[in-house]
Amino acid sequence: MHSALLDKIRGIVGAESVLTGVELSPYVLEGRTPAAAVFPGSVEEVSALLALASDEGIAVTPWGGGTKIAIGAPPERLGLVLGLRRLNRLLEHEPGDLTATSQAGITLDALQGRLAARGQWLSLDPAFGEQATLGGILAANASGPRRHLYGTARDLLIGVTVVAADGSVVKGGGKVVKNVAGYDLPKLYIGSFGTLGIIVEATVKLRPRPDDDRLVLTCFERLKDCGQAVRLVLASDLIPSAVDLLDGEALRGVGLAPGVETGGALLLGFDGMREQVEWQCEEARRLLAGAGPVAQRVLEAEARDAAWRSVRELGGRVFPEAAAQLRLAVLPSQVAEVIEQAGAAAQRCGLRAAFGAHAAVGIVTAVLAGGGESAQPVIAALREWRELVRAAGGHAVLERAPLAVKEQVAVWDPPGPAGRIMERIKIQLDPKGILNPGRFVGGI
Amino acid sequence: MTTLTESRRQSLGRALEGIVGKAAVLTDPQELMVYESDGLTLFRALADFVVFPTSTQQVSALVRLADAEGLPFVARGAGTGLSGGCLPTEGGLVIALSRMTRILEVDYDNQLAVVEPGLVNLHLSWAVGPRGYYYAPDPASQQACTIGGNIANNSGGPHTLKYGVTTNHVLGLEVVLPDGEVVWLGGKTRDPLGYDLTGVFVGSEGTFGIATKIVVRLLKKPQAVKTVLAAFDEIDRASEAVSAIIARGLVPAALEMIDQVTIQAVEDAFGCGYPRDAAAALLIELDGLAAGMEAQAERVVAACREAGAREVRTAKDEAERQLLWKGRKSAFGAYGRVSPAYMVMDGVIPRTKLPYVLRRVNEIVAAANLRVGNVFHAGDGNLHPNILYDPRRPGEEARVVQAGAEILKVCAEVGGSISGEHGIGLEKMDYMPFIFSPADLATMHRVKEAFNPRGLCNPGKIFPTKKSCVETGPAYRAHPIEEKGLAQRF
Repeated sequence: MHSALLDKIRGIVGAESVLTGVELSPYVLEGRTPAAAVFPGSVEEVSALLALASDEGIAVTPWGGGTKIAIGAPPERLGLVLGLRRLNRLLEHEPGDLTATSQAGITLDALQGRLAARGQWLSLDPAFGEQATLGGILAANASGPRRHLYGTARDLLIGVTVVAADGSVVKGGGKVVKNVAGYDLPKLYIGSFGTLGIIVEATVKLRPRPDDDRLVLTCFERLKDCGQAVRLVLASDLIPSAVDLLDGEALRGVGLAPGVETGGALLLGFDGMREQVEWQCEEARRLLAGAGPVAQRVLEAEARDAAWRSVRELGGRVFPEAAAQLRLAVLPSQVAEVIEQAGAAAQRCGLRAAFGAHAAVGIVTAVLAGGGESAQPVIAALREWRELVRAAGGHAVLERAPLAVKEQVAVWDPPGPAGRIMERIKIQLDPKGILNPGRFVGGI
Repeated sequence: MTTLTESRRQSLGRALEGIVGKAAVLTDPQELMVYESDGLTLFRALADFVVFPTSTQQVSALVRLADAEGLPFVARGAGTGLSGGCLPTEGGLVIALSRMTRILEVDYDNQLAVVEPGLVNLHLSWAVGPRGYYYAPDPASQQACTIGGNIANNSGGPHTLKYGVTTNHVLGLEVVLPDGEVVWLGGKTRDPLGYDLTGVFVGSEGTFGIATKIVVRLLKKPQAVKTVLAAFDEIDRASEAVSAIIARGLVPAALEMIDQVTIQAVEDAFGCGYPRDAAAALLIELDGLAAGMEAQAERVVAACREAGAREVRTAKDEAERQLLWKGRKSAFGAYGRVSPAYMVMDGVIPRTKLPYVLRRVNEIVAAANLRVGNVFHAGDGNLHPNILYDPRRPGEEARVVQAGAEILKVCAEVGGSISGEHGIGLEKMDYMPFIFSPADLATMHRVKEAFNPRGLCNPGKIFPTKKSCVETGPAYRAHPIEEKGLAQRF
């Protein structure tokens, strides 16, 4: 990048908010180093940066906490990394409205801390809350176990402010919980990985914090029994906030079932009023007794939090060194079977595999390990997994893999006929193709 | 109607008959008049043709024909919309989906159903009810409105406070795009690949294409339900009770407010047991587990009493609960007994602003020398002021429209929205700048360009752009079956 251009950038955000040279090592992406990393301190600065980038045709990669930055195809071009960490203020929180508006760079934990002080929370629980930012969570559509009851970003985001590719500031939605005026633009930015605009502010729906919160962990001899247990729970009167499943390898890897011979476990989260939680824990125990559990525990306080953390961060914890991570979306009723088949496929390739699932919504995290120096076994296993998911009518995203693997295995499935509309939306909103180019579905 | 030559009209008619059959094409102006309005009779526009396809293939063929002929087209469900959204403002083709009413699949294991767009909302809950399931979005017109229409408007209802609106219950859509291509957006699995096109399609008021199959979530019926009626001598106290309930950490399934004008109309019509002399009443419903239900109801009762309720009553049984709900749901029909006409407004505010905004609404309406009845989703801050008037009095209707605009301005000023569930349609195109900047509107327009580049799919809506051949006529009057309490609307 020309020094004149860098000077312009420094002029916008101040020299202390621009990193270059060796300082860029945390922002190396798939082996590529950006020209600079900039950290604007206001929406106006983001706007000025994008107007400049648009004029000069510089690629811009938005960066929150970096916890999901590995997701995506290797970038087509890497110009500026635009870090949002200085935009970290909670702008409004009116408990009586059950809504809050915040700048996008606030970390989830910081936001939850502020909300908790007034008895509320944002019902999203993705991994790495201490580092992940609100904007990044929205842009990556990150979620956690409690999505089972409380939904995902699309159910909670009611308004968004975005800086568009040309630097204009665009608002979608609003600050009220019900709103059908105009198109539902917030939906478009969720999960768009920064390819349509940079989220700078968000208004979200909140919930009251529960009085009580427990986790019922039930281990079974076989994974198949877990699948049966999920069906029992869903057909019952229980209203769990989380219905997660871990296979035997995952349980051993994160140490959640010490001393138990088990093929898998069901983790049920119950939160709400004490009376409700107590009844549900008891009812779950009674219900699952019929499915032949080999062990059952109720976890509270730190033990509960630690267990959920293990579930959320499975990919980084289950093996000393994971080779790849795939996220699968299948029908909930297929989860146990797909995991069994995928496990067998990994074994055939000489690899170890562990699985965790938000079982009742059909979202599975699959982690591979082994293979030594060669990428070939990992590539072979991932291809089999993809095929398996496709045959089940689902889809998959390669969330983490070395570059050598990404060169052989696509990060995203092909988008099919709807891809045409996605391309058109991209061209409409980012005609010069400067926003995170090449990383998204269909080469967007 | 467009200005088609007679020979072109005839050849188009034959082409349409070739697609859907002779019995499924209307061309007689008398018959077309049935489709010139929706629930908001303020606007009228006549189509050149109304057609009744029965399959995705037929819808696709119709749209391809319209695209080839440059003919505007618009989908129509039951016509219960309240913003003129399904009117053929530039003439052309109305594609009525009322014959595509099948439930194609119910998958209880995965708690979803695949339905056609013409299916009546309530019929889905009826179909899955015996197995203990239901479809959550419940607009008051749910006895008549279609799920396809709900998709277009992202419809709500009283129970959205806890369960969300239509978009929160739709997983995927088979869509006929404005060029006739059939594509799936989303599907049965979660977190679909790429942009959330399902999410942006829902609520696009029929301007992005026509949904021909819809994958919806089914919910299990709650174990227990509790319904509370609280009466207040001052409307401000009722508003404060709304905030007090939320402040106690409760999320009721529904939290509705009914003011005195409405209570009296409802009591005259149906005798639902609301106290006639109360300034306002709250109808509060809790649902969920039986465990803890009593304790939650006690919290609600305590919140209402502390806010100054003069009477708080819990429905003793299902019959009393139904009666209380009948009062709420039949309110619109009941206005027919106290006023020759009324116009329903739909605005949203942060719920903590309720006391202020309700005062302003009353001031605005009084200054226009009109009366207003309020019956609305207080828990969501979704107001429905209903301005009562007599269309036979010269100039009165214009004052109603003016007062409505002022009310929406107040909603915008306190950080709210100009529509919570009825949509923009024709009615509110000119109010969009109250809450959206030119850059916001330009972005929406670009998204529309991506789906509907030729602009033939439901033209002349949402954005105040083209001149249309819409006529304005008398505003809403309650239908006789509404006045009898047999049909309802919100």
